[in-house]
Amino acid sequence: METTFDLSRWTEKPHGLAYRRWAIVSTGLRQVLRLRTFRILLFIGWAAGALIALAGFVFSQSVANGGWLEALAANLGARVESVVAAFNAVVLLYPDVCVHGLFTIIFGLQSFIALWLCLVGLTALIPRLITQDRASNALTIYLARPLTSADYLIGKLGIVAGLVLVLWTAPLLSGWLLSMLLSPNQDFLVYSIRPLGNALLFNGIALLSLAAISLGVSAVSRSSRNTIILWIGLWVVAGVIAAHPNNPAWLRHASFSQNLAEIRKSVFRVDQVLTRAADELPLFNRELTASFRRGAEETATDESRGAAVGLGVLVLLSAGVFFRKLRPE
Amino acid sequence: MIEVEKMSKAYGTQRALNDVSLQVPPGAIGLLGPNGAGKTTLIKCLLNLESPTSGTAKVLGVDIKVSNRSSREKVGYSPERDCHIPGMAGCEYVTYCGQLSGMTFRQARQRAHEILDLVGMGQERYRSVDTYSTGMRQRAKLAQALVHDPKIVFLDEPTNGLDPAGREHILTLVGSLWRELNISVVISSHLLQDIERICDRVIIIAHGRLLVHDRIDVLKNQRRRSVEITPSGELDRFASALTAAGSTVERLSNGRLRLEAPSESIEWILELIRTNRLPPAEIVGNPNVLHELFLASLSENGNDL
Repeated sequence: METTFDLSRWTEKPHGLAYRRWAIVSTGLRQVLRLRTFRILLFIGWAAGALIALAGFVFSQSVANGGWLEALAANLGARVESVVAAFNAVVLLYPDVCVHGLFTIIFGLQSFIALWLCLVGLTALIPRLITQDRASNALTIYLARPLTSADYLIGKLGIVAGLVLVLWTAPLLSGWLLSMLLSPNQDFLVYSIRPLGNALLFNGIALLSLAAISLGVSAVSRSSRNTIILWIGLWVVAGVIAAHPNNPAWLRHASFSQNLAEIRKSVFRVDQVLTRAADELPLFNRELTASFRRGAEETATDESRGAAVGLGVLVLLSAGVFFRKLRPE
Repeated sequence: MIEVEKMSKAYGTQRALNDVSLQVPPGAIGLLGPNGAGKTTLIKCLLNLESPTSGTAKVLGVDIKVSNRSSREKVGYSPERDCHIPGMAGCEYVTYCGQLSGMTFRQARQRAHEILDLVGMGQERYRSVDTYSTGMRQRAKLAQALVHDPKIVFLDEPTNGLDPAGREHILTLVGSLWRELNISVVISSHLLQDIERICDRVIIIAHGRLLVHDRIDVLKNQRRRSVEITPSGELDRFASALTAAGSTVERLSNGRLRLEAPSESIEWILELIRTNRLPPAEIVGNPNVLHELFLASLSENGNDL
């Protein structure tokens, strides 16, 4: 072998810190996207987004004058036609209850599915965050460059944020935007904004807490297997234990997934939507009103404060772990 | 290039570095010392991978404490321990390291391939780094240290785990970095002959203290000069001729003759060979001088190996 110096010289000014952090994020996400599991999750996440658009489209077409529901009802006879006309009238008279309520329920379901997808996605991603870097002493490679452990951490947080964005936030926004483009009037835009804001708020809370907890779990061990076991333990096992209503409060809030479920209830307030529907809509069917009230009782929560504290404690503990472990070994 | 002022590093009660002060000009610098002397700690402190307990340091004129990130912008580091970013092919890994130093993807990719050629990696660059042999990983470590065209590169035992051909290749490359590319090299190694071959300056530390820091040729001249001669035949006649010329000749077990030389020049030996019609011989001036110097420095400072 002969050493020749057929080498270009790099004399340009290096790109700044934001670029170097972005390099960590984009490379990490590229590596994750190569995983088959993640592609499947991505498909499900975007299918959920498409369902939001479809639900919005079907609903808006149902109540539009000359829409397919009206045309179908006309073919099914006078009785059905009058029921559909009454339904359309209720939606047009009470858009604040109907449109707001419908989108709250749709976004609540989407957040349930997307959170679950993110948790599954994180199970595949979590050893790649810090665990494998610790096992291969990669921190030395990062920190011997113009980066600090805070930059490294921000880059890794960005990878988790990227995962949540592509599996959850982007399908949510795309689905909502598409359904708005297909909506017949402004009411849909006006009365779906608040549910969307709630969905994004919960999305943000979940993003921050999942990012911190997953980094903390990823930093605990140098073994990928142990990290996955710990993650599943915290997610599934602690979740099952915490779900038991007779357990003491501290145990019920020791699970991040259970805490997030409680916070979701208090952010979306599906109980309020159902109560308003039962109180304000002129529903002549008593059974329907009663079922709305029952649904409201089931979806109400009084544990949101405890859940927020529990989640905060878990996030702080995780932050303590990853700050302690982020040193070259 | 490197300025260190009273730098100390303690781990609990153990002092890994003890008031080290240094002014190192650009060049190829060998860092020598017995195991646990503090060589790696010194390099890590200069890179801010370890925080010095006290003292200050500047690398390329940048204070490592005041400007933490920018002090490493034009610095490369190939650690002794096996280090790599998992889940990447070799060329992807080196490209990524270039990006982490602020290169655009295109620039980093081009430099990565050039550097991988330079360190002698062929098609293996498209394989995952996780599957590399020790030698391959050593080359990948060197490549990532050089990809961003640093002005100074710290190499901690860069020939560990390499086969003889690979070691020769890497030593030639490292030796050429300063001579041909003006990239200063600080190389820590246990192999004194490697340091002597590629470095023009040496730093010897032991028990965290700086013992010696000077140019190798200056240090050589401070010690007694010796010559080793390996005649191609007629060993006895050779020895007699040298003795007759007034030298004290020592016969070594490997068939060589060692004698003290009055000066740097070996002209008088060549003249002796000509006049006595002696067979040709290999003549090496000051062999093992660094080894002797190393041992002497340690014993003078009361350090045992």
